Amino acid sequence: MDIVFANASAKFANRNVLEPLSIRLTEHRIGIIGLNGSGKSTFARMINGLVFPHAGSVVTNGFETRQDAERVRSIVGYIFQNPANQIVLPVVRDDIALGMKRLRLGTREVEQRVSDVLARLGIGHLAERRAHELSGGEVQLVALAAVLATSPDIVIMDEPTNQLDLRNRNMVTRTIRDLVEDVIVVTHDLALLANFDRVLLFHEGRILADGPAENVIARYEELVQ
Amino acid sequence: MTAAPGAVLERLPATTKLAALFCISVLLFLTTSPSLLGAAAGAILVACLLLCREALVQWLKAWPLLLTIGIFALWKAFADGYHEALVLLLRLGTLSLVATVVTVTTSIRQFIDTITRLARPLEKLGIGNAHDIGLAIGLVMRLIPDVRQRYLAVVDAHRARGLPLRPSTLFVPMIIGMLKGADDMANAIDARGIRADTRTEKKVGHG
Amino acid sequence: MDSKSLVLVALFTAIIVVLGLIPPIMVAVIPVPIHAQSLGVLLAGIVLGARHGALSVLLLIALVAIGLPVLSGGRGGLSVFLSPTAGYLLGYLPAAWMTGWAADRVHDLPIRGWKVLAGLLAAAILGVLITHVVGIAWLIAYVGLSPLEAIVGDLIFVPGDLVKAALAAYVGRIIHENFGRRLIAS
Repeated sequence: MDIVFANASAKFANRNVLEPLSIRLTEHRIGIIGLNGSGKSTFARMINGLVFPHAGSVVTNGFETRQDAERVRSIVGYIFQNPANQIVLPVVRDDIALGMKRLRLGTREVEQRVSDVLARLGIGHLAERRAHELSGGEVQLVALAAVLATSPDIVIMDEPTNQLDLRNRNMVTRTIRDLVEDVIVVTHDLALLANFDRVLLFHEGRILADGPAENVIARYEELVQ
Repeated sequence: MTAAPGAVLERLPATTKLAALFCISVLLFLTTSPSLLGAAAGAILVACLLLCREALVQWLKAWPLLLTIGIFALWKAFADGYHEALVLLLRLGTLSLVATVVTVTTSIRQFIDTITRLARPLEKLGIGNAHDIGLAIGLVMRLIPDVRQRYLAVVDAHRARGLPLRPSTLFVPMIIGMLKGADDMANAIDARGIRADTRTEKKVGHG
Repeated sequence: MDSKSLVLVALFTAIIVVLGLIPPIMVAVIPVPIHAQSLGVLLAGIVLGARHGALSVLLLIALVAIGLPVLSGGRGGLSVFLSPTAGYLLGYLPAAWMTGWAADRVHDLPIRGWKVLAGLLAAAILGVLITHVVGIAWLIAYVGLSPLEAIVGDLIFVPGDLVKAALAAYVGRIIHENFGRRLIAS
């Protein structure tokens, strides 16, 4: 990945959610941690253009998020905190196919991709399931499958293990670890970040610590004392 | 399943079938003779038996509708006499059967495509985008079980706490919870580029 | 239309459908069971406003046309449009629009508290009125009842619908207090 924040800041109702920030992200796996309200989610949302910078700019893999919004959205897959709300059609297979509509592929290729991505995540058996019948972990994986099916360069996940039981959490953790795509994960689940290349600690709209997972997590724990 | 000859009906374009339904309706309303209506009813019944038995089955399954027609026919019999009642019975009974045939021989996909095509002129009026119709229908189907689950959950919570069911405590939490989910879903639709071929609003830089 | 409006329209159509799934209840002196479905229609108008409320109903009508069993009692399919009571379904459309329009006017006024409730109640009753007018017109034109017969037959359902109007106004006001007019961008 190659994400550049150039003096980018974000406001909400005249309050600075994110102070002007300049940073470059090039690693394969990046973790983002911090207390609620620290600005970490906003930061993640600026990477794929869900939020535009109030000042400054954000360039994701060569595309500026405001000017090339559509391109940015096509190369970045985003998994929201409540992924059930991300599944838009009743049947899993149809929903994943819908996400590929903008790629204008042939019917056979779409079907193939759907099967492939489900198999890749080990959830082929969920193809005909209805969205409301899925467990918490299954919903995460289906949302991830829908995103991966469009071949994004970067996958951003917002608190992927938030409300999962241990088994589902392990399943999701393993899946994230095995992804070949570049990954940015916003999380409270520190165990998830075990093999990550770089972790950013946000606090009150600023980056408090930035470096290898171990160090930053230690700093976070200090902060929370 | 329809018998082999019935496949003919399924292959007809939906607009043709709808037009036929409309024409038959008009024709049945042009006459007030029970014998003519009876003949038409008979002919259609026979056609169904030959071409689309499934429609007859579905038609009978929708007995509340038939009951409603029956009740009105009864009323008519008392108010205006048997002649009027028979006309009513034959007309409405036949039309509902023909309508059932169209419903049974047309797939959901075909209906959505037809509606989308018919809605194109409305695009000019600025009412929305025709492509959104398929998505909207899918969204409703997706949301119905969620809404239902939420309703049941709220009702259960009331029962568990022994609270009486009042509109303020039932509908309000239900709707407010769903409004939040709707926000997420809209963001996801945009983030996933699902409406990439339609014009969507740009978000201004708010957190 | 932005995605938020699209989702909200679909959401209210889903609400109308689910309200139709609730078994009808008997209330005190009213001789016929009350279906909750028309409550959903009034709510769509009050909460979403004229345009999007009407779109919710239009979407419902499309679902019925397609053959899905979304009306109370599991009814669906084109035969519904040829039934004696089809007028009431078709009447939902202008009803949602007018209720929405009236509710918009109420929300534009600088009033609060019980006055808003009264205004919304008037908006909802307007919707009920329209539904019944269209329903009666259909009974006369399509079923062939005389105007008197049609009105008498229709009257039984009016008290139940007035109760629903009151409910819709009540719920609509609470939602307005919590969300204001920020719901729909247009």
